[in-house]
Parts: sequence; C-alpha cells; structure tokens
Amino acid sequence: MLIGQLAVRLQGLLGGVVFPAWDSRTTEDFYAAAASAMSRVQVPCHIKGAVALQVGDVRTVQGRPGVLVIDVTFPTAGPFELQEITFKNYYTAFLSIRVRQVGSPNQSSNKWITCLRDYCLMPNPHNEEGAQDYVSLYKHQMLCDMDKVLELRLILRQPSPLWLNFTLEELQFFQHGPQSPSSAFTKWLSHPAPYEQPALLLQQALPDPDKVSSEVQQMWMLTEMIRANRTTARIGRFDVSCPAASALSSLALIWP
Amino acid sequence: MAEKRRPTAPVAGASEARRASPARGLATESEEEFLRQAGVTSMLRAALLKVLEARPDEPLPFLAHYFDNLGLRSPANGGAGEPPGLLLLQQQRIGRALWHLRLAHHSQRTAFNNNVSVAYECLSASGRKKRPGLDGRTYSELLKRICRDGEAPEEIVSPLLQKIQCRDHEAVPFDIFRYGMLTCFVLLEFVARADALYEVLDDSGQADRRVCQAVLDTLEGALLAGDFEAPSRYLEAGSQLGPDCLALAMDRALLARKSNSAMLRDEFLEKAASLFIAKVRPVG
Repeated sequence: MLIGQLAVRLQGLLGGVVFPAWDSRTTEDFYAAAASAMSRVQVPCHIKGAVALQVGDVRTVQGRPGVLVIDVTFPTAGPFELQEITFKNYYTAFLSIRVRQVGSPNQSSNKWITCLRDYCLMPNPHNEEGAQDYVSLYKHQMLCDMDKVLELRLILRQPSPLWLNFTLEELQFFQHGPQSPSSAFTKWLSHPAPYEQPALLLQQALPDPDKVSSEVQQMWMLTEMIRANRTTARIGRFDVSCPAASALSSLALIWP
Repeated sequence: MAEKRRPTAPVAGASEARRASPARGLATESEEEFLRQAGVTSMLRAALLKVLEARPDEPLPFLAHYFDNLGLRSPANGGAGEPPGLLLLQQQRIGRALWHLRLAHHSQRTAFNNNVSVAYECLSASGRKKRPGLDGRTYSELLKRICRDGEAPEEIVSPLLQKIQCRDHEAVPFDIFRYGMLTCFVLLEFVARADALYEVLDDSGQADRRVCQAVLDTLEGALLAGDFEAPSRYLEAGSQLGPDCLALAMDRALLARKSNSAMLRDEFLEKAASLFIAKVRPVG
C-alpha cells in the first residue's frame, strides 16, 4: 500500500490526474506509471458513442444486454505507438480491447487483434468496488505490440442486473513524449554520484601519515603566526644606494 | 650604602631581641620582625610571584637562577671592590634580558609580552650612557645569543638575522624589538618541529628524498594558500595538510621518480627554515 501512496503522490506532483486502483497492481505498474507520467503526449481521438450489442431489434425489445462497444479512431494522428490508456470507470465490470494496426505490406487488409481480454475492473460486478475508479492501462499489459495503432475498439461488459447504465468516461490515449527523461530519471535514482573516496591503495611503506601531518600542521601554524604578527613599526631608515653616501644615508635616530 | 647597612641591622636586632627578653613568645614575634626588616619577606614574595607567572617545569633550578640574577641586579655588588667593566656590564645585562625572555613560552602571549618589556627596559636602562634606549649592536648580539643557545644551525640563522637585524648605530624601538624576539623564539621552535618531522620521515635510517620533498612542497602549497580571508585559508590548509592528503602526496612522489637517494637532516632543516623565513617581514 505504501508503494501505492507514493505513486499517487508522485503523479499528483507531476500533474497527472490518474489514480489507479492499486490494490491488485504490481510494482511494474508503479514504475510504468512513473515513467509514463514523466513523458507522455495525449493523442487526439474521436470517440464514437457506446453501442449496446443485443440480439434483435433495439427499439422493439426492451432489454439491457450488458455489453457495450466503444469505437475510437484517430483521424488527425497517423499510426502511433500507444503507451497508455486512461479513463474513469462508471460501473463497467469487464473490459476487452481490440486493436487494428498497420499490418505488414504484403497483407491486403488490416485485421483486428484482441490486445486486452476481459480485464476486470470490478471484482464483484454486483458491488460498488471499483465502480468509479480511475484506471490506467499500459503498453506492457497488452497482449500484443501497439506500435502502429490505427483504431481501437473497447468492449465493455456488465453482467449484473443492478447496474443498467455503464460506460467509461474521460477516455484519453497517450503516446511517448519527444524525448524520454524517464530513462535519465531512473538512471539518476539508481546511480547516485559517488562521493570522492580517498584511494587507500598505498603501494609502498610510508612514514606514519598521522605523525607527519601533526608535525607539518604545527609548522604551518608557527609560520602563520609570524606572518600574522608582522609589526607595523618602522625603524626609519633612509637608504641611498651610493657607496660614497653610505655613511650619510642613515639620518634618523643616529646613535652617537 | 643601603646594602652595607643591611648586614648590621639584623645582627643588632637579634642581639637586642636576645638581650631584651628570653621568653618564647617575644622571640617568635621578633623573628617575624627580623624577616621583615631584612627584606626577606618581600624578596620571597617577589620570587614566588615570578614562579607563579612563569610556571616552570622544574621550579628549583628556576629559583636558583632567579636568585643568581638577583645578585647581579645592582651595578655594584656588595663586597666587590672594583666596578665591573663596560663589556662585562653589557654581557650581564644581556644575560639578564635573556633570562627574562626565557621565563615564559612565546605561546603564553601576555606573559611573554610582559617579559619582553622588562627585558627591553633592562637593556635600555644604563647609568653610563647619555641617552637611554636600545642600540642596534646590543639587539643584534642578543639575537645571536638566543639562536646560539637554541642550537640552531648557522645556515638557518643567518638569513633570518639578515632580515630582522638592525644596524649598530640605530635605535631599536620596542615594537621591532618585540617582533625580533618573537621571531627568534618561534624559529627555534619551528626548527625543533622540523627536526621531529625529519625523525618521523627517517624510518629505517634513511629519509627518502622524494618523500621529504613532497612533504615540503605540500607545506609550501598550504602556506601559499593565501590572500583569502582567514577562516577559509585555515580550512583549506587544514584539508591540504590532513593525513590522507599527505599520504597521497608521498605515495605519488614515490611512484613518480625512480631515484632512491636520501636527504640529509641539515638539508631538510635548511629547506624547511627557508619556507619559514620567507614569511618573515624584513625590518626597514
């Protein structure tokens, strides 16, 4: 739980508003959250309305099928590498995601692939737990690579008859930032700068450094004392550099 | 004259006491009276004060020297027939001044300054000369005497004397006298410390030249540290002269060069002393 609290505080500091349900999460999710929070760019998307899947005619048969499909397209952004999906749950019990990516050149049509199968958002569909959580889904949780995503299809299921209306709100999709300071961030965390350690690899037998040091410091102190104690008095000598005048040079305070 | 009278007074006082009353109580009182009149009380009090001020390691020789000098203090000794010659007088005065200067270590700054001023007065006062004051010749002689008694080598002493000596005919003011005395005593201690350092470096009977030179160079570097404010200079010097830095310097020196000659004690002392003397401000 402590890791969860740290992650919450970290994301709060970094401006992210996603608070995942951390009870069942792992440390891998925590690091992924930290890394992604540092460098993610939201991809503009177009979310089509949720379509309930049911057998028969919707208008005539009254029923709540409990399955909804949300289609997401990215008209403005080309194929991108999906890193993170965030949303706010509203009484959805299970989530599946299918993705259509840019396939290899020899294939004619792009196929839909399931990248997330029956992801549990509410442990007990009848209860409230997890019903209104903020959820983050990461690249590493997907079953396939999300390198060139074109479209996504989210399939929501709520088998409980208690919750007739259910959906996902505030859907957001993220890709990697232009540069990744997360790697630099973790490097800094894992390799603190080593402070200078004195290399005690002394090869030869040296005289005792402690004794040498104490003597040298005393000598230094004595010299400093003399340097600091300089007298400002002057003897008042006038020196003329002329041999003939040497006898007359010292004029002041001449001793008889 | 006062001294001639002194021996007679106690004799008279004692005989009077004996004649006056043989009782014990009065004898005790008269003994005190005797001591006071003899001037012994004040003399002993002065001697004890001097001992307290100097705090010598061996009080008994100190007191012996003190009384010895006390006898010399008056120009005409009681009992000496002829007045001593001028040279002898000057020697006596230098000796007395030296004794005063040696009473306190230079690190005990107040006591040392007091002694220096007493010595200055002692040297300056003279009955014969017209003008009181200390002349350069006496000052130089005193400096040489101090260095000689401290057993400092001649090669070390002469550069220092060149810096702080005064010409024979010049009058030496008190500040310069004090500075000269202090420098001499500090140099003597410095040489003693350098000697002890040489002993430490001289393990197994041979002081490696490279190691000695490395230590001296480190000291020179710390002394050059400089013109900064006092606290940072001390901190920097302290870090440069710490045991680990010195060990690294010595180790580096041993790895750098291959020569294996030894440095003699005299050469080491001379080099160390030159670092000290470089910081002494010349008089003039």
